[in-house]
Amino acid sequence: MASPASYALRRHQQQRRRPLQDDNWVRSDGRGFHQCRPAFLRTGAARAASGSAYAEFGSTKVIVSVFGPRESKKAMKYSGIGRLNCNVNFATFSTATRGQESDHKDFSSMLHKALEGAVLLESFPKTTVDVFALVLESGGSDLPAVISCASLALADAGIMMYDLVASASVSCIGNSLIIDPAAEEEDCQDGSLTVAFMPSRREITQLTLTGEWSTGRIHEATELCLDACSKLGEIMRTCLKQAVSSST
Amino acid sequence: MEYVKLSGFRLDGRRPTEMRHIHAEVGAVANADGSASFEMGNTKVIAAVYGPKEVENKGQQIGNKALVRCEYSMANFSTGDRARRPKGDRRSTELSLVIRQTMEACILTHLMPRSQIDIYVQVLQADGGTRSACINAATLALADAGIPMCDLVTSCAAGYLNSTPLLDLNYLEDSAGGPDVTVGLLSKLDKVTLLQMDAKLPLDIFENVMQLAIEGCKAIANLIRQVLLENTKKLEYLRGT
Amino acid sequence: MVGLSAGEKNFIRGGIEQDLRADGRQRQDFRPILIETGVIPQANGSARVRFGATDVIASVKAELGKPNPLQPGRGKVAIYVDCSPTAAPAFERGGGEELSTELSAALQKCLLGGKSGAGAGIDLSSLMVLEGKVCWDLYIDGLVVSSDGNLLDALAAAIKAALTNTGIPKVDVGVGASPDEQPEVNISDEEFLQFDTSAVPVIITLTKVGREYIVDATSDEESQMSSAVSVSVNSHGKVCGLIKRGGAGLDASVILDMVSAARHVSQKLIPLLDSEIDAAEAASLAGQGSDVDP
Repeated sequence: MASPASYALRRHQQQRRRPLQDDNWVRSDGRGFHQCRPAFLRTGAARAASGSAYAEFGSTKVIVSVFGPRESKKAMKYSGIGRLNCNVNFATFSTATRGQESDHKDFSSMLHKALEGAVLLESFPKTTVDVFALVLESGGSDLPAVISCASLALADAGIMMYDLVASASVSCIGNSLIIDPAAEEEDCQDGSLTVAFMPSRREITQLTLTGEWSTGRIHEATELCLDACSKLGEIMRTCLKQAVSSST
Repeated sequence: MEYVKLSGFRLDGRRPTEMRHIHAEVGAVANADGSASFEMGNTKVIAAVYGPKEVENKGQQIGNKALVRCEYSMANFSTGDRARRPKGDRRSTELSLVIRQTMEACILTHLMPRSQIDIYVQVLQADGGTRSACINAATLALADAGIPMCDLVTSCAAGYLNSTPLLDLNYLEDSAGGPDVTVGLLSKLDKVTLLQMDAKLPLDIFENVMQLAIEGCKAIANLIRQVLLENTKKLEYLRGT
Repeated sequence: MVGLSAGEKNFIRGGIEQDLRADGRQRQDFRPILIETGVIPQANGSARVRFGATDVIASVKAELGKPNPLQPGRGKVAIYVDCSPTAAPAFERGGGEELSTELSAALQKCLLGGKSGAGAGIDLSSLMVLEGKVCWDLYIDGLVVSSDGNLLDALAAAIKAALTNTGIPKVDVGVGASPDEQPEVNISDEEFLQFDTSAVPVIITLTKVGREYIVDATSDEESQMSSAVSVSVNSHGKVCGLIKRGGAGLDASVILDMVSAARHVSQKLIPLLDSEIDAAEAASLAGQGSDVDP
């Protein structure tokens, strides 16, 4: 039985970066500003799918199933490369108040953009791979969780990819940059930066930024995200290896 | 409400048989095969024509003539109060059909078998008479695309309020609930291709109102011819011949 | 759109490599920009912007509404974009829906700042009429009339111009109402408040073709892109939003390089847009004047 994987930046790093903050606020869950929530990843969460994964980052819980490659819909035109169809849904009980879950219409296209750079679409011509993501509990940093979990599910389904896609986000609150923000931190953020990253190839597949930033700050935040993504990538890799070793 | 004042003028200062200011232009959309914009007072529409081209959906292909399709859409900001309208609601489906049928009647479809012509009309501002404005814009766009037509079809509406026949109703007059006759006319052939009326009118008055609308159509046809002629002259000049 | 032949593709790529694009521009040149304001009289503000053959309209409508209880001191802004089928047959019957959502979301991210409202191009607190009771809701609608690439930049420019053109009626709040009641408001017909749009950022999309990146790509050039990064920059040179669009992965240093390139381009683009908008405003005022004078 595999023990749940978790990740956190090393202590000394935290202490080194801590003096940047001039005010003494503490994150609600007691984490350091540059500390991620513990991650729990597991593949094979849904039986009917070709591949699936479940991910838990603190209170954020997502499940992703991948179907295919299967025949494209008849109405689709002929295409020499495969299609990647992404769909992100929020469970009605995923947010504190019912009915808030519809603010994320663009998540599907964001997920698509984050993954399309990693998947070898030419390896399954004329067919479609469907990626269905369901956010069970929205606890902040939902999109990064969905992206990471989806790439794990694609790997579980045996879809060819250049690399796993790991994703992380940073929130800017006042003068501090905090990584992997929880929902209440996201609500009061001044700006945010989300990165989807292929750790082995060191390539960014998706990057979005909101709020006002200076170039230096973008640099700092990107570095922070990339660092977290690389570490998360390791954990994702371990999770896949464990899944293989436990099945044989 | 008094739509025609005692002095004989309407709410916007027009005489009963006066049309609104019309401005028409060819070539509003760069990538289309043909396009035009048409303004009647505050009503403003754009039309774009794509084709004749290969039929996309082979099931719809017609062996001996061209397939004509039309889609009518309204911009979110086109009406006074802002409403986000779903695509393909009943009103726009009906208008798409009306425009398609009217245009189909004047296009020489038998010259282009197994091909497809798409007409798209977009309302930027609606202030009454969108139906007519769309047809006029579509005619101009079709002519710009060089699609063979037996005649220019033009359209104009007329209504009857305060016992006076009124030409080219604006939104305020249109929403008064009185009769509203929209006519589409092939002006050279002198044939009516479209005739619609809401509410009721005695037969003799109807004839008067319809005659008024026909006069309006003829005036618009003259204007459209002028616009096309000027455009052709401009093209000729650009070619340097 | 008609597909390109291998020769055409090579021509576009080769031109970009040699800093001479198919229409004679250099890599960091914009097409001629045409701005017209006040095109939709029924709206509070509107503008039509043309970048070459790309043609978009933006309109701003203001309605009185209730502020969000979580943010009582601020008005609300919503941005919607529609792609008219006149621009491309592919947009008919809701076919442009996906692109519309993508453009709306990108504009919202770039113009409205973070969740706390910091770094927003539109100052939401200026939309407040009575705290917690009445505020202005701004509805910004974009319409793509003709599309030849670089829609996002054109839409952002159109929104900036439309906001400059916007006059929000002055509102008098009736006094004496008890705190629970919805207060009475009088909307003035004559006095209008103008918006300060100097903080509204511009969006610059850098499209990567081969090894180089170009600004203001036409749709032919966009079809050859490997990836694109849209950067929104305000007049202080601060980055207000960034979106990477599709395609292949990029190295972090390349993205940061693109950001600095975008900031460099913005130093030319912002003054150019501002002067074009001012000229359009002056022209639309003059146009109104001649209408009154018979």
